Amino acid sequence: MALDLNMPILVVDDYKTMIRIIRNLLKQLGFDDVDEASDGTEALGKMKERKYGLVISDWNMEPMTGYELLKHVRADSGLNKTPFIMVTAESKTENVIAAKKAGVNNYIVKPFNAQTLKGKIESVFGD
Amino acid sequence: MHMRRDSPVAALRRAEISRRQTVGNDHDHKNLSLIVEFLQGKGRTNVKLDDIVGLAETMARTLDHSVRHIDVDLHGEFCAITSEISSLRREIYELRPDQMRFERIPEAGRELDVVIEATEEATHEIMEAAEVIMSADDSDPAAYKALVDEKMIAIFEACTFQDLTGQRLRKVVKTLSWIEKRITTLAEKLTSDADAMPISDNETDEERRNREQILHGPQMKGHGVSQDDVDDFFSVSSNQDDIDALFA
Repeated sequence: MALDLNMPILVVDDYKTMIRIIRNLLKQLGFDDVDEASDGTEALGKMKERKYGLVISDWNMEPMTGYELLKHVRADSGLNKTPFIMVTAESKTENVIAAKKAGVNNYIVKPFNAQTLKGKIESVFGD
Repeated sequence: MHMRRDSPVAALRRAEISRRQTVGNDHDHKNLSLIVEFLQGKGRTNVKLDDIVGLAETMARTLDHSVRHIDVDLHGEFCAITSEISSLRREIYELRPDQMRFERIPEAGRELDVVIEATEEATHEIMEAAEVIMSADDSDPAAYKALVDEKMIAIFEACTFQDLTGQRLRKVVKTLSWIEKRITTLAEKLTSDADAMPISDNETDEERRNREQILHGPQMKGHGVSQDDVDDFFSVSSNQDDIDALFA
Protein backbone atom coordinates (compact mmCIF):
# COMPACT_ATOMS: atom_id res chain seq x y z
CA MET A 1 0.00 0.00 0.00
CA ALA A 2 1.52 3.31 -1.03
CA LEU A 3 1.17 6.42 1.06
CA ASP A 4 -1.06 8.90 -0.73
CA LEU A 5 -1.06 12.42 0.69
CA ASN A 6 -4.38 13.11 -1.04
CA MET A 7 -6.24 10.24 0.59
CA PRO A 8 -9.16 11.18 2.84
CA ILE A 9 -8.55 10.44 6.52
CA LEU A 10 -11.25 10.04 9.15
CA VAL A 11 -10.30 11.11 12.68
CA VAL A 12 -12.65 9.76 15.37
CA ASP A 13 -12.53 11.25 18.87
CA ASP A 14 -15.11 12.62 21.30
CA TYR A 15 -12.68 15.31 22.41
CA LYS A 16 -12.72 18.21 19.94
CA THR A 17 -9.31 19.42 21.01
CA MET A 18 -7.73 16.06 20.21
CA ILE A 19 -9.33 16.08 16.75
CA ARG A 20 -7.90 19.57 16.25
CA ILE A 21 -4.43 18.43 17.36
CA ILE A 22 -4.45 15.39 15.06
CA ARG A 23 -5.84 17.45 12.19
CA ASN A 24 -2.99 19.97 12.58
CA LEU A 25 -0.37 17.24 12.85
CA LEU A 26 -1.75 15.59 9.72
CA LYS A 27 -1.68 18.95 7.95
CA GLN A 28 1.97 19.32 8.92
CA LEU A 29 2.61 15.89 7.43
CA GLY A 30 0.93 16.94 4.19
CA PHE A 31 -2.55 15.46 4.61
CA ASP A 32 -5.23 18.07 3.92
CA ASP A 33 -8.34 15.95 3.39
CA VAL A 34 -9.39 15.19 6.96
CA ASP A 35 -12.92 14.42 8.16
CA GLU A 36 -13.99 13.97 11.75
CA ALA A 37 -16.50 12.00 13.82
CA SER A 38 -17.22 12.12 17.54
CA ASP A 39 -17.86 8.40 18.12
CA GLY A 40 -17.99 5.01 16.43
CA THR A 41 -21.59 5.31 15.28
CA GLU A 42 -21.00 8.60 13.48
CA ALA A 43 -17.74 7.25 12.04
CA LEU A 44 -19.46 4.14 10.69
CA GLY A 45 -22.09 6.31 9.02
CA LYS A 46 -19.43 8.45 7.37
CA MET A 47 -17.45 5.41 6.27
CA LYS A 48 -20.51 4.05 4.49
CA GLU A 49 -20.89 7.32 2.59
CA ARG A 50 -17.25 7.85 1.69
CA LYS A 51 -14.24 5.63 1.16
CA TYR A 52 -11.44 6.65 3.52
CA GLY A 53 -7.79 5.82 3.04
CA LEU A 54 -7.16 5.71 6.78
CA VAL A 55 -9.11 5.81 10.06
CA ILE A 56 -7.46 7.20 13.19
CA SER A 57 -9.66 6.49 16.19
CA ASP A 58 -9.76 6.98 19.93
CA TRP A 59 -10.87 3.98 22.02
CA ASN A 60 -13.04 5.39 24.83
CA MET A 61 -16.10 7.07 23.29
CA GLU A 62 -19.87 6.89 23.74
CA PRO A 63 -22.11 5.37 22.62
CA MET A 64 -19.88 3.33 20.30
CA THR A 65 -16.25 2.87 21.35
CA GLY A 66 -13.33 2.78 18.95
CA TYR A 67 -12.92 -0.91 19.77
CA GLU A 68 -16.50 -1.62 18.65
CA LEU A 69 -15.96 0.53 15.57
CA LEU A 70 -12.87 -1.49 14.69
CA LYS A 71 -14.79 -4.77 15.01
CA HIS A 72 -17.68 -3.40 12.90
CA VAL A 73 -15.26 -2.22 10.23
CA ARG A 74 -13.42 -5.54 10.08
CA ALA A 75 -16.74 -7.43 9.89
CA ASP A 76 -18.01 -5.34 6.97
CA SER A 77 -16.84 -6.69 3.62
CA GLY A 78 -17.03 -3.21 2.09
CA LEU A 79 -14.87 -1.59 4.77
CA ASN A 80 -12.63 -4.32 6.14
CA LYS A 81 -9.55 -3.33 4.13
CA THR A 82 -9.48 0.21 5.54
CA PRO A 83 -6.27 0.85 7.47
CA PHE A 84 -7.09 1.57 11.12
CA ILE A 85 -4.86 3.17 13.74
CA MET A 86 -5.97 3.32 17.37
CA VAL A 87 -4.84 6.43 19.27
CA THR A 88 -5.74 6.01 22.92
CA ALA A 89 -4.96 6.48 26.59
CA GLU A 90 -6.01 2.85 27.13
CA SER A 91 -2.59 1.33 27.70
CA LYS A 92 -3.25 -1.95 29.46
CA THR A 93 -1.70 -5.00 27.88
CA GLU A 94 -5.13 -6.53 27.30
CA ASN A 95 -6.17 -3.46 25.30
CA VAL A 96 -3.23 -3.75 22.94
CA ILE A 97 -3.77 -7.49 22.50
CA ALA A 98 -7.53 -7.09 21.98
CA ALA A 99 -7.01 -4.37 19.39
CA LYS A 100 -4.44 -6.46 17.55
CA LYS A 101 -6.75 -9.48 17.56
CA ALA A 102 -9.59 -7.31 16.27
CA GLY A 103 -7.42 -6.31 13.33
CA VAL A 104 -5.97 -2.90 14.15
CA ASN A 105 -3.04 -1.89 11.96
CA ASN A 106 -1.21 0.09 14.59
CA TYR A 107 -1.62 1.47 18.08
CA ILE A 108 -0.54 4.82 19.52
CA VAL A 109 -0.51 5.46 23.25
CA LYS A 110 -1.53 8.97 24.34
CA PRO A 111 0.15 11.34 24.89
CA PHE A 112 2.00 11.10 21.61
CA ASN A 113 4.00 13.37 19.33
CA ALA A 114 4.04 14.20 15.63
CA GLN A 115 6.98 11.89 15.02
CA THR A 116 5.11 8.90 16.46
CA LEU A 117 2.02 9.64 14.38
CA LYS A 118 4.12 10.01 11.25
CA GLY A 119 6.02 6.79 12.00
CA LYS A 120 2.86 4.76 12.53
CA ILE A 121 1.18 6.05 9.38
CA GLU A 122 4.31 5.23 7.39
CA SER A 123 4.48 1.83 9.02
CA VAL A 124 0.87 1.03 8.10
CA PHE A 125 1.48 1.97 4.49
CA GLY A 126 4.81 0.15 4.39
CA ASP A 127 6.93 3.19 3.62
CA MET B 1 -60.29 11.07 59.86
CA HIS B 2 -57.06 12.98 59.49
CA MET B 3 -54.01 10.83 60.32
CA ARG B 4 -51.22 12.63 62.17
CA ARG B 5 -47.84 12.06 60.54
CA ASP B 6 -44.75 12.83 62.63
CA SER B 7 -41.37 13.64 61.22
CA PRO B 8 -38.93 10.81 62.03
CA VAL B 9 -37.19 12.93 64.64
CA ALA B 10 -40.49 14.00 66.25
CA ALA B 11 -41.68 10.40 66.41
CA LEU B 12 -38.49 9.36 68.13
CA ARG B 13 -38.63 12.27 70.51
CA ARG B 14 -42.21 11.39 71.40
CA ALA B 15 -41.16 7.79 72.03
CA GLU B 16 -38.29 8.90 74.26
CA ILE B 17 -40.47 11.29 76.27
CA SER B 18 -43.03 8.56 76.65
CA ARG B 19 -40.32 6.18 77.86
CA ARG B 20 -39.21 8.61 80.55
CA GLN B 21 -42.67 9.50 81.72
CA THR B 22 -44.25 6.10 81.97
CA VAL B 23 -43.35 2.91 83.77
CA GLY B 24 -44.01 -0.80 83.46
CA ASN B 25 -45.78 -2.66 80.70
CA ASP B 26 -47.90 0.28 79.77
CA HIS B 27 -44.85 2.35 78.83
CA ASP B 28 -43.29 -0.52 76.85
CA HIS B 29 -46.49 -1.06 74.98
CA LYS B 30 -46.82 2.62 74.12
CA ASN B 31 -43.20 2.92 72.97
CA LEU B 32 -43.45 -0.16 70.82
CA SER B 33 -46.68 1.14 69.34
CA LEU B 34 -44.98 4.41 68.47
CA ILE B 35 -42.09 2.58 66.85
CA VAL B 36 -44.44 0.34 64.86
CA GLU B 37 -46.45 3.40 63.85
CA PHE B 38 -43.25 5.11 62.69
CA LEU B 39 -42.05 2.08 60.74
CA GLN B 40 -45.44 1.63 59.08
CA GLY B 41 -45.68 5.30 58.14
CA LYS B 42 -46.45 5.78 54.45
CA GLY B 43 -44.47 8.05 52.19
CA ARG B 44 -41.44 8.45 54.45
CA THR B 45 -38.84 9.70 52.05
CA ASN B 46 -36.85 11.85 54.44
CA VAL B 47 -35.61 9.16 56.80
CA LYS B 48 -31.99 9.80 57.67
CA LEU B 49 -29.35 7.44 59.02
CA ASP B 50 -29.45 9.41 62.26
CA ASP B 51 -33.21 8.68 62.52
CA ILE B 52 -32.62 4.96 62.07
CA VAL B 53 -29.92 4.96 64.75
CA GLY B 54 -32.24 6.92 67.04
CA LEU B 55 -34.96 4.38 66.40
CA ALA B 56 -32.61 1.50 67.23
CA GLU B 57 -31.58 3.32 70.39
CA THR B 58 -35.22 3.73 71.47
CA MET B 59 -36.02 0.11 70.65
CA ALA B 60 -33.04 -1.13 72.64
CA ARG B 61 -34.03 0.95 75.67
CA THR B 62 -37.64 -0.19 75.42
CA LEU B 63 -36.75 -3.84 75.23
CA ASP B 64 -34.19 -3.36 77.98
CA HIS B 65 -36.92 -2.11 80.28
CA SER B 66 -39.02 -5.19 79.50
CA VAL B 67 -36.28 -7.68 80.34
CA ARG B 68 -34.78 -5.81 83.30
CA HIS B 69 -36.93 -7.67 85.78
CA ILE B 70 -36.52 -11.01 84.04
CA ASP B 71 -32.84 -11.49 83.34
CA VAL B 72 -29.92 -9.48 84.74
CA ASP B 73 -27.43 -10.70 82.09
CA LEU B 74 -29.77 -9.77 79.30
CA HIS B 75 -30.24 -6.39 80.92
CA GLY B 76 -26.46 -5.88 80.85
CA GLU B 77 -26.37 -6.79 77.17
CA PHE B 78 -29.08 -4.27 76.39
CA CYS B 79 -27.19 -1.57 78.30
CA ALA B 80 -24.11 -2.30 76.18
CA ILE B 81 -26.15 -2.22 72.97
CA THR B 82 -27.73 1.08 73.93
CA SER B 83 -24.33 2.55 74.75
CA GLU B 84 -22.87 1.35 71.46
CA ILE B 85 -25.77 2.81 69.49
CA SER B 86 -25.39 6.15 71.30
CA SER B 87 -21.70 6.16 70.48
CA LEU B 88 -22.48 5.40 66.82
CA ARG B 89 -24.94 8.26 66.81
CA ARG B 90 -22.22 10.64 68.01
CA GLU B 91 -19.88 9.36 65.26
CA ILE B 92 -22.53 9.96 62.62
CA TYR B 93 -23.06 13.45 63.95
CA GLU B 94 -19.33 14.13 63.75
CA LEU B 95 -19.30 12.81 60.21
CA ARG B 96 -21.48 15.82 59.33
CA PRO B 97 -23.19 14.08 56.40
CA ASP B 98 -25.17 17.18 55.43
CA GLN B 99 -22.04 19.30 55.24
CA MET B 100 -20.45 16.60 53.14
CA ARG B 101 -23.47 16.23 50.85
CA PHE B 102 -24.51 19.84 50.46
CA GLU B 103 -21.23 21.74 50.82
CA ARG B 104 -17.97 19.85 50.45
CA ILE B 105 -18.78 17.46 47.60
CA PRO B 106 -20.71 19.99 45.43
CA GLU B 107 -17.94 22.53 45.97
CA ALA B 108 -15.30 20.00 44.90
CA GLY B 109 -17.42 19.24 41.81
CA ARG B 110 -17.60 22.95 40.95
CA GLU B 111 -13.83 23.29 41.35
CA LEU B 112 -13.30 20.40 38.94
CA ASP B 113 -15.74 21.93 36.44
CA VAL B 114 -13.77 25.18 36.53
CA VAL B 115 -10.53 23.24 36.04
CA ILE B 116 -11.99 21.56 32.95
CA GLU B 117 -13.19 24.92 31.58
CA ALA B 118 -9.87 26.65 32.27
CA THR B 119 -7.90 23.83 30.68
CA GLU B 120 -10.10 23.86 27.58
CA GLU B 121 -9.89 27.63 27.30
CA ALA B 122 -6.10 27.64 27.62
CA THR B 123 -5.74 24.79 25.13
CA HIS B 124 -7.95 26.68 22.68
CA GLU B 125 -5.86 29.87 23.04
CA ILE B 126 -2.57 28.00 22.62
CA MET B 127 -3.80 26.08 19.59
CA GLU B 128 -5.24 29.19 18.01
CA ALA B 129 -1.89 30.98 18.38
CA ALA B 130 -0.07 27.97 16.92
CA GLU B 131 -2.50 27.74 13.99
CA VAL B 132 -2.04 31.45 13.19
CA ILE B 133 1.75 31.00 13.19
CA MET B 134 1.52 27.87 11.02
CA SER B 135 -0.59 29.59 8.40
CA ALA B 136 1.17 32.97 8.52
CA ASP B 137 2.71 34.56 5.45
CA ASP B 138 6.50 34.60 5.97
CA SER B 139 7.37 36.63 2.89
CA ASP B 140 7.92 39.72 5.06
CA PRO B 141 10.41 38.57 7.76
CA ALA B 142 9.89 41.61 10.03
CA ALA B 143 6.10 41.30 10.01
CA TYR B 144 6.37 37.54 10.43
CA LYS B 145 8.67 37.92 13.47
CA ALA B 146 6.33 40.47 15.04
CA LEU B 147 3.42 38.09 14.57
CA VAL B 148 5.35 35.14 16.03
CA ASP B 149 6.44 37.24 19.04
CA GLU B 150 2.87 38.37 19.66
CA LYS B 151 1.53 34.83 19.49
CA MET B 152 4.32 33.49 21.71
CA ILE B 153 3.31 35.99 24.40
CA ALA B 154 -0.30 34.81 24.00
CA ILE B 155 0.90 31.22 24.55
CA PHE B 156 2.82 32.19 27.69
CA GLU B 157 -0.24 34.03 29.02
CA ALA B 158 -2.48 31.06 28.33
CA CYS B 159 -0.08 28.81 30.27
CA THR B 160 -0.82 30.73 33.48
CA PHE B 161 -3.92 28.54 33.77
CA GLN B 162 -1.70 25.85 35.29
CA ASP B 163 -1.11 27.85 38.46
CA LEU B 164 -4.83 28.39 39.07
CA THR B 165 -5.91 24.88 38.15
CA GLY B 166 -3.15 23.52 40.40
CA GLN B 167 -4.54 25.49 43.34
CA ARG B 168 -8.09 24.36 42.59
CA LEU B 169 -7.02 20.72 42.35
CA ARG B 170 -5.20 20.99 45.68
CA LYS B 171 -8.49 22.18 47.22
CA VAL B 172 -10.27 19.12 45.79
CA VAL B 173 -7.55 16.84 47.16
CA LYS B 174 -7.99 18.44 50.60
CA THR B 175 -11.75 17.82 50.42
CA LEU B 176 -11.18 14.17 49.49
CA SER B 177 -8.80 13.81 52.43
CA TRP B 178 -11.40 15.39 54.74
CA ILE B 179 -14.06 12.91 53.55
CA GLU B 180 -11.67 9.98 53.70
CA LYS B 181 -10.68 10.81 57.30
CA ARG B 182 -14.28 10.93 58.51
CA ILE B 183 -15.43 7.83 56.68
CA THR B 184 -12.38 5.89 57.90
CA THR B 185 -13.13 6.92 61.49
CA LEU B 186 -16.74 5.76 61.15
CA ALA B 187 -15.71 2.51 59.44
CA GLU B 188 -13.26 1.76 62.23
CA LYS B 189 -15.97 2.43 64.81
CA LEU B 190 -18.27 -0.11 63.24
CA THR B 191 -17.60 -3.73 64.09
CA SER B 192 -15.66 -5.96 61.78
CA ASP B 193 -18.88 -7.89 61.13
CA ALA B 194 -19.37 -5.70 58.09
CA ASP B 195 -16.16 -7.11 56.62
CA ALA B 196 -17.57 -10.61 56.84
CA MET B 197 -20.71 -9.67 54.94
CA PRO B 198 -20.75 -10.86 51.35
CA ILE B 199 -20.20 -8.11 48.81
CA SER B 200 -22.86 -7.95 46.15
CA ASP B 201 -21.47 -9.17 42.86
CA ASN B 202 -24.27 -7.62 40.85
CA GLU B 203 -22.59 -5.87 37.96
CA THR B 204 -23.86 -2.41 37.07
CA ASP B 205 -24.46 -1.44 33.45
CA GLU B 206 -21.42 0.80 33.58
CA GLU B 207 -19.22 -1.99 34.98
CA ARG B 208 -20.46 -4.39 32.31
CA ARG B 209 -19.71 -1.88 29.56
CA ASN B 210 -16.24 -1.20 30.98
CA ARG B 211 -15.53 -4.93 31.06
CA GLU B 212 -16.88 -5.67 27.59
CA GLN B 213 -15.28 -2.65 25.99
CA ILE B 214 -12.04 -3.09 27.98
CA LEU B 215 -12.18 0.45 29.35
CA HIS B 216 -9.62 1.24 32.02
CA GLY B 217 -8.85 4.89 31.33
CA PRO B 218 -5.39 6.42 31.45
CA GLN B 219 -2.85 4.55 33.57
CA MET B 220 -0.51 6.11 36.11
CA LYS B 221 3.04 6.69 34.94
CA GLY B 222 4.90 3.40 34.74
CA HIS B 223 1.78 1.26 35.04
CA GLY B 224 0.51 0.91 31.47
CA VAL B 225 2.45 -0.35 28.49
CA SER B 226 4.75 2.15 26.82
CA GLN B 227 4.79 3.06 23.14
CA ASP B 228 8.03 1.05 22.85
CA ASP B 229 6.24 -2.05 24.24
CA VAL B 230 3.44 -1.53 21.72
CA ASP B 231 5.93 -1.10 18.89
CA ASP B 232 7.71 -4.32 19.87
CA PHE B 233 4.37 -6.08 19.97
CA PHE B 234 3.41 -4.91 16.51
CA SER B 235 6.81 -5.77 15.10
CA VAL B 236 6.54 -9.49 15.92
CA SER B 237 4.18 -12.18 14.74
CA SER B 238 0.76 -12.73 16.31
CA ASN B 239 2.05 -15.89 17.98
CA GLN B 240 0.74 -15.97 21.56
CA ASP B 241 4.11 -17.07 22.99
CA ASP B 242 5.81 -14.05 21.43
CA ILE B 243 3.13 -11.80 22.83
CA ASP B 244 3.42 -13.33 26.30
CA ALA B 245 7.19 -12.94 26.22
CA LEU B 246 6.87 -9.24 25.45
CA PHE B 247 4.55 -8.54 28.36
CA ALA B 248 6.08 -10.97 30.86
